[in-house]
Amino acid sequence: MSDKKRVSRRQFLNYTLTGVGGFMAAGMLAPMVRFAIDPVLKTQEGGDMVSVASVDEITNEPQRFEWTIDQVDAWYESEVQKTAWVYRNDSDEIIALSPICTHLGCTVDWASNEEYPNQFFCPCHAGRYTKDGVNVPNTPPTAPLPVYQHEVRDGMLYLGDAISREGA
Amino acid sequence: MRFAKKDIGQYLPEKEYIDTVVIPLVPFDPSSDKNMEKQAFLRELNQVFTNVIEKEYRGRIFLSPDYHYMSDGQDEEVERINQWIHHFREQPFKHIFLFTFDMKWKKYEKDIEGELIWVPGLQTGDLQSTETQAFVKEQAKEISELIQSYW
Ligand code: FES
Repeated sequence: MSDKKRVSRRQFLNYTLTGVGGFMAAGMLAPMVRFAIDPVLKTQEGGDMVSVASVDEITNEPQRFEWTIDQVDAWYESEVQKTAWVYRNDSDEIIALSPICTHLGCTVDWASNEEYPNQFFCPCHAGRYTKDGVNVPNTPPTAPLPVYQHEVRDGMLYLGDAISREGA
Repeated sequence: MRFAKKDIGQYLPEKEYIDTVVIPLVPFDPSSDKNMEKQAFLRELNQVFTNVIEKEYRGRIFLSPDYHYMSDGQDEEVERINQWIHHFREQPFKHIFLFTFDMKWKKYEKDIEGELIWVPGLQTGDLQSTETQAFVKEQAKEISELIQSYW
Protein backbone atom coordinates (compact mmCIF):
# COMPACT_ATOMS: atom_id res chain seq x y z
CA MET A 1 0.00 0.00 0.00
CA SER A 2 1.44 3.38 -0.91
CA ASP A 3 1.75 6.09 1.68
CA LYS A 4 -0.45 8.36 -0.28
CA LYS A 5 -3.24 5.89 -0.20
CA ARG A 6 -2.90 5.50 3.52
CA VAL A 7 -3.29 9.19 4.04
CA SER A 8 -6.35 9.41 1.92
CA ARG A 9 -7.96 6.54 3.77
CA ARG A 10 -7.17 8.19 7.01
CA GLN A 11 -8.66 11.41 5.81
CA PHE A 12 -11.73 9.53 4.80
CA LEU A 13 -11.92 8.13 8.29
CA ASN A 14 -11.52 11.57 9.78
CA TYR A 15 -14.27 13.00 7.63
CA THR A 16 -16.53 10.16 8.56
CA LEU A 17 -15.89 10.58 12.21
CA THR A 18 -16.36 14.31 12.14
CA GLY A 19 -19.75 13.65 10.70
CA VAL A 20 -20.48 11.19 13.41
CA GLY A 21 -21.09 13.87 16.04
CA GLY A 22 -23.95 15.26 14.05
CA PHE A 23 -25.46 11.89 13.48
CA MET A 24 -25.18 11.27 17.13
CA ALA A 25 -27.27 14.28 17.99
CA ALA A 26 -29.83 13.36 15.36
CA GLY A 27 -29.88 9.82 16.65
CA MET A 28 -30.68 10.94 20.15
CA LEU A 29 -33.56 13.12 19.10
CA ALA A 30 -35.23 10.61 16.88
CA PRO A 31 -36.78 8.09 19.19
CA MET A 32 -37.12 4.59 17.89
CA VAL A 33 -40.75 4.85 17.21
CA ARG A 34 -41.32 1.17 16.74
CA PHE A 35 -39.72 0.33 20.06
CA ALA A 36 -41.47 3.08 21.89
CA ILE A 37 -45.05 2.72 20.81
CA ASP A 38 -45.54 -0.42 18.86
CA PRO A 39 -47.12 -3.18 20.93
CA VAL A 40 -46.59 -5.50 17.97
CA LEU A 41 -43.01 -6.01 19.00
CA LYS A 42 -43.93 -7.42 22.35
CA THR A 43 -43.51 -11.14 22.31
CA GLN A 44 -46.77 -12.99 22.67
CA GLU A 45 -47.27 -16.59 23.48
CA GLY A 46 -48.55 -18.62 20.56
CA GLY A 47 -46.84 -21.97 20.78
CA ASP A 48 -43.38 -21.29 19.42
CA MET A 49 -44.78 -18.74 17.05
CA VAL A 50 -44.06 -15.13 17.78
CA SER A 51 -46.12 -12.18 16.65
CA VAL A 52 -43.91 -9.90 14.57
CA ALA A 53 -46.11 -7.62 12.52
CA SER A 54 -49.64 -6.61 11.73
CA VAL A 55 -50.72 -8.09 8.39
CA ASP A 56 -51.75 -4.75 6.97
CA GLU A 57 -48.15 -3.57 7.18
CA ILE A 58 -47.14 -6.24 4.69
CA THR A 59 -46.75 -5.09 1.10
CA ASN A 60 -45.41 -6.53 -2.15
CA GLU A 61 -42.05 -5.02 -1.34
CA PRO A 62 -39.97 -7.05 1.14
CA GLN A 63 -39.67 -5.27 4.48
CA ARG A 64 -37.43 -6.07 7.36
CA PHE A 65 -39.11 -7.00 10.66
CA GLU A 66 -37.27 -7.63 13.89
CA TRP A 67 -38.21 -9.31 17.13
CA THR A 68 -36.43 -10.95 20.03
CA ILE A 69 -36.65 -14.40 21.52
CA ASP A 70 -35.13 -15.93 24.64
CA GLN A 71 -32.59 -18.52 23.76
CA VAL A 72 -31.37 -20.95 26.36
CA ASP A 73 -28.43 -23.27 25.97
CA ALA A 74 -26.58 -25.29 28.58
CA TRP A 75 -24.83 -22.24 30.05
CA TYR A 76 -26.48 -19.05 29.06
CA GLU A 77 -29.88 -17.61 28.67
CA SER A 78 -29.78 -14.79 26.20
CA GLU A 79 -32.05 -12.51 24.26
CA VAL A 80 -31.50 -13.06 20.58
CA GLN A 81 -32.66 -10.69 17.94
CA LYS A 82 -34.34 -12.30 14.95
CA THR A 83 -35.03 -10.74 11.61
CA ALA A 84 -37.20 -11.62 8.63
CA TRP A 85 -37.81 -10.18 5.18
CA VAL A 86 -41.57 -10.26 4.71
CA TYR A 87 -43.74 -9.54 1.66
CA ARG A 88 -46.77 -10.73 -0.32
CA ASN A 89 -46.01 -12.58 -3.52
CA ASP A 90 -48.02 -12.34 -6.74
CA SER A 91 -50.49 -14.95 -5.51
CA ASP A 92 -51.08 -12.79 -2.43
CA GLU A 93 -49.36 -15.29 -0.13
CA ILE A 94 -47.21 -14.02 2.70
CA ILE A 95 -43.56 -15.00 2.39
CA ALA A 96 -41.15 -14.58 5.31
CA LEU A 97 -37.51 -15.23 4.54
CA SER A 98 -34.56 -15.54 6.88
CA PRO A 99 -31.96 -12.86 6.09
CA ILE A 100 -29.04 -15.13 6.93
CA CYS A 101 -26.92 -15.72 3.85
CA THR A 102 -26.47 -19.45 3.23
CA HIS A 103 -22.86 -18.87 2.24
CA LEU A 104 -21.21 -17.83 5.51
CA GLY A 105 -23.97 -16.17 7.46
CA CYS A 106 -23.93 -12.44 6.76
CA THR A 107 -27.24 -10.58 6.74
CA VAL A 108 -28.67 -9.96 3.29
CA ASP A 109 -30.45 -6.80 2.24
CA TRP A 110 -33.29 -6.31 -0.21
CA ALA A 111 -32.41 -4.27 -3.31
CA SER A 112 -29.28 -2.80 -1.77
CA ASN A 113 -27.24 -3.26 -4.94
CA GLU A 114 -28.22 -0.85 -7.66
CA GLU A 115 -27.46 -3.32 -10.40
CA TYR A 116 -29.90 -5.85 -8.98
CA PRO A 117 -32.88 -3.86 -7.70
CA ASN A 118 -35.10 -6.96 -7.52
CA GLN A 119 -32.85 -9.25 -5.60
CA PHE A 120 -31.56 -9.85 -2.12
CA PHE A 121 -27.91 -8.91 -1.93
CA CYS A 122 -25.24 -10.04 0.50
CA PRO A 123 -22.65 -7.34 1.20
CA CYS A 124 -19.97 -9.81 2.23
CA HIS A 125 -19.17 -11.59 -1.03
CA ALA A 126 -21.86 -10.30 -3.37
CA GLY A 127 -24.12 -13.32 -2.94
CA ARG A 128 -27.54 -12.84 -4.55
CA TYR A 129 -31.03 -14.32 -4.27
CA THR A 130 -34.14 -13.73 -6.31
CA LYS A 131 -37.22 -12.36 -4.59
CA ASP A 132 -38.45 -15.85 -3.64
CA GLY A 133 -35.14 -16.35 -1.83
CA VAL A 134 -33.59 -18.73 -4.34
CA ASN A 135 -29.85 -18.29 -4.70
CA VAL A 136 -28.58 -16.98 -8.00
CA PRO A 137 -26.18 -19.47 -9.64
CA ASN A 138 -22.54 -18.41 -9.85
CA THR A 139 -22.72 -16.32 -6.70
CA PRO A 140 -21.24 -17.81 -3.50
CA PRO A 141 -24.42 -19.09 -1.77
CA THR A 142 -25.33 -22.66 -2.61
CA ALA A 143 -28.80 -22.82 -1.09
CA PRO A 144 -31.89 -20.59 -0.96
CA LEU A 145 -32.67 -18.41 2.06
CA PRO A 146 -34.59 -20.40 4.68
CA VAL A 147 -38.33 -19.73 4.96
CA TYR A 148 -40.04 -19.00 8.26
CA GLN A 149 -43.08 -21.01 9.16
CA HIS A 150 -45.89 -18.53 9.46
CA GLU A 151 -49.43 -18.16 10.63
CA VAL A 152 -51.94 -15.33 10.61
CA ARG A 153 -54.15 -14.87 13.63
CA ASP A 154 -56.31 -11.86 14.52
CA GLY A 155 -54.69 -9.74 11.88
CA MET A 156 -51.21 -10.47 13.19
CA LEU A 157 -48.39 -12.35 11.50
CA TYR A 158 -46.76 -15.01 13.65
CA LEU A 159 -43.43 -16.53 12.69
CA GLY A 160 -41.92 -19.78 13.89
CA ASP A 161 -38.75 -21.59 12.90
CA ALA A 162 -36.80 -20.87 9.74
CA ILE A 163 -36.70 -23.98 7.56
CA SER A 164 -33.71 -24.61 5.28
CA ARG A 165 -34.28 -25.42 1.63
CA GLU A 166 -32.33 -27.45 -0.89
CA GLY A 167 -29.87 -25.69 -3.15
CA ALA A 168 -30.65 -24.41 -6.64
CA MET B 1 -17.04 -15.03 13.40
CA ARG B 2 -15.83 -15.08 16.96
CA PHE B 3 -13.06 -16.71 18.87
CA ALA B 4 -15.20 -19.73 19.71
CA LYS B 5 -14.66 -23.34 18.76
CA LYS B 6 -17.66 -23.61 16.50
CA ASP B 7 -16.81 -20.44 14.59
CA ILE B 8 -13.15 -21.31 14.23
CA GLY B 9 -14.19 -24.66 12.77
CA GLN B 10 -16.11 -22.75 10.15
CA TYR B 11 -13.43 -20.12 9.67
CA LEU B 12 -10.41 -22.32 8.98
CA PRO B 13 -11.61 -24.03 5.79
CA GLU B 14 -13.16 -20.79 4.51
CA LYS B 15 -10.42 -18.33 5.45
CA GLU B 16 -10.14 -16.84 2.02
CA TYR B 17 -13.60 -15.30 2.55
CA ILE B 18 -13.10 -13.96 6.06
CA ASP B 19 -10.49 -11.30 5.50
CA THR B 20 -11.37 -8.63 8.06
CA VAL B 21 -10.72 -8.38 11.80
CA VAL B 22 -12.21 -6.01 14.33
CA ILE B 23 -10.25 -5.65 17.58
CA PRO B 24 -12.12 -3.88 20.39
CA LEU B 25 -9.80 -1.63 22.45
CA VAL B 26 -11.15 -1.52 25.97
CA PRO B 27 -9.65 0.55 28.82
CA PHE B 28 -9.60 -0.96 32.26
CA ASP B 29 -8.22 0.49 35.47
CA PRO B 30 -9.21 -1.21 38.70
CA SER B 31 -7.32 1.31 40.86
CA SER B 32 -9.98 3.99 40.66
CA ASP B 33 -13.61 3.68 41.68
CA LYS B 34 -14.57 6.50 39.40
CA ASN B 35 -12.92 5.03 36.32
CA MET B 36 -14.22 1.58 36.96
CA GLU B 37 -17.83 2.55 36.59
CA LYS B 38 -17.27 4.53 33.44
CA GLN B 39 -15.04 1.89 31.91
CA ALA B 40 -17.46 -0.87 32.71
CA PHE B 41 -20.10 1.04 30.83
CA LEU B 42 -17.81 1.62 27.86
CA ARG B 43 -16.91 -2.04 27.79
CA GLU B 44 -20.55 -3.01 27.59
CA LEU B 45 -21.24 -0.39 24.96
CA ASN B 46 -18.27 -1.62 22.95
CA GLN B 47 -19.68 -5.15 23.14
CA VAL B 48 -23.09 -4.05 22.00
CA PHE B 49 -21.51 -2.38 18.97
CA THR B 50 -19.18 -5.13 17.97
CA ASN B 51 -21.95 -7.69 18.45
CA VAL B 52 -24.20 -5.83 16.04
CA ILE B 53 -21.43 -5.63 13.47
CA GLU B 54 -20.35 -9.23 13.94
CA LYS B 55 -23.89 -10.45 13.54
CA GLU B 56 -24.51 -8.65 10.26
CA TYR B 57 -21.13 -9.44 8.70
CA ARG B 58 -20.06 -12.67 10.35
CA GLY B 59 -19.24 -14.25 7.01
CA ARG B 60 -16.47 -11.76 6.41
CA ILE B 61 -15.54 -10.20 9.76
CA PHE B 62 -13.74 -11.93 12.59
CA LEU B 63 -14.35 -10.32 15.97
CA SER B 64 -11.16 -10.51 18.00
CA PRO B 65 -11.15 -10.99 21.78
CA ASP B 66 -11.08 -7.60 23.53
CA TYR B 67 -7.76 -5.87 23.90
CA HIS B 68 -7.67 -4.53 27.47
CA TYR B 69 -5.22 -1.89 28.65
CA MET B 70 -4.66 0.47 31.57
CA SER B 71 -6.30 3.76 30.74
CA ASP B 72 -3.12 5.80 30.42
CA GLY B 73 -0.82 3.21 28.99
CA GLN B 74 -1.05 4.06 25.29
CA ASP B 75 2.68 4.72 25.02
CA GLU B 76 3.61 1.20 26.02
CA GLU B 77 0.64 -0.47 24.42
CA VAL B 78 1.24 0.44 20.81
CA GLU B 79 3.92 -2.17 20.41
CA ARG B 80 1.81 -4.93 21.88
CA ILE B 81 -1.16 -3.97 19.73
CA ASN B 82 1.02 -4.14 16.67
CA GLN B 83 2.04 -7.62 17.75
CA TRP B 84 -1.60 -8.67 17.78
CA ILE B 85 -1.95 -7.16 14.34
CA HIS B 86 1.09 -8.99 12.99
CA HIS B 87 -0.25 -12.27 14.22
CA PHE B 88 -3.63 -11.65 12.67
CA ARG B 89 -1.93 -10.79 9.41
CA GLU B 90 -0.35 -14.20 9.37
CA GLN B 91 -3.72 -15.88 8.93
CA PRO B 92 -3.74 -13.86 6.54
CA PHE B 93 -6.29 -11.22 7.42
CA LYS B 94 -6.20 -8.29 5.05
CA HIS B 95 -8.17 -5.57 6.82
CA ILE B 96 -7.57 -4.89 10.48
CA PHE B 97 -9.72 -2.42 12.36
CA LEU B 98 -9.39 -1.31 15.96
CA PHE B 99 -12.61 -0.16 17.51
CA THR B 100 -12.59 2.20 20.48
CA PHE B 101 -14.38 5.02 22.29
CA ASP B 102 -11.12 6.20 23.85
CA MET B 103 -9.92 9.29 22.04
CA LYS B 104 -6.43 9.02 23.49
CA TRP B 105 -5.69 6.56 20.69
CA LYS B 106 -6.13 9.22 18.04
CA LYS B 107 -2.68 10.55 18.88
CA TYR B 108 -1.13 7.16 18.22
CA GLU B 109 -3.06 6.42 15.11
CA LYS B 110 -0.08 6.73 12.80
CA ASP B 111 1.94 4.22 14.84
CA ILE B 112 -0.76 1.57 14.83
CA GLU B 113 -0.57 -0.78 11.89
CA GLY B 114 -4.30 -1.15 11.53
CA GLU B 115 -7.17 1.25 10.91
CA LEU B 116 -8.40 2.98 14.02
CA ILE B 117 -12.13 3.51 14.27
CA TRP B 118 -12.71 5.93 17.07
CA VAL B 119 -16.30 6.73 17.88
CA PRO B 120 -17.12 9.47 20.37
CA GLY B 121 -19.17 7.24 22.65
CA LEU B 122 -21.78 8.08 25.17
CA GLN B 123 -19.92 8.69 28.39
CA THR B 124 -22.53 7.05 30.47
CA GLY B 125 -26.13 6.05 30.15
CA ASP B 126 -28.49 3.15 30.09
CA LEU B 127 -27.80 0.45 27.53
CA GLN B 128 -31.47 -0.50 27.44
CA SER B 129 -32.75 2.99 26.69
CA THR B 130 -34.19 3.79 23.31
CA GLU B 131 -31.66 6.65 22.96
CA THR B 132 -28.76 4.26 23.32
CA GLN B 133 -30.34 1.78 20.94
CA ALA B 134 -30.87 4.48 18.34
CA PHE B 135 -27.30 5.68 18.82
CA VAL B 136 -25.89 2.19 18.40
CA LYS B 137 -28.00 1.44 15.33
CA GLU B 138 -27.07 4.63 13.56
CA GLN B 139 -23.40 4.42 14.42
CA ALA B 140 -23.10 0.73 13.64
CA LYS B 141 -24.48 1.46 10.22
CA GLU B 142 -21.91 4.17 9.63
CA ILE B 143 -19.10 1.97 10.81
CA SER B 144 -20.08 -0.96 8.67
CA GLU B 145 -20.27 1.32 5.66
CA LEU B 146 -16.78 2.50 6.48
CA ILE B 147 -15.52 -1.07 6.73
CA GLN B 148 -17.21 -1.98 3.47
CA SER B 149 -15.45 0.88 1.72
CA TYR B 150 -12.21 -1.03 2.28
CA TRP B 151 -13.52 -4.23 0.70
S1 FES C 1 -21.74 -14.61 3.35
FE1 FES C 1 -23.16 -13.97 1.86
S2 FES C 1 -22.04 -14.15 0.05
FE2 FES C 1 -20.64 -14.85 1.50
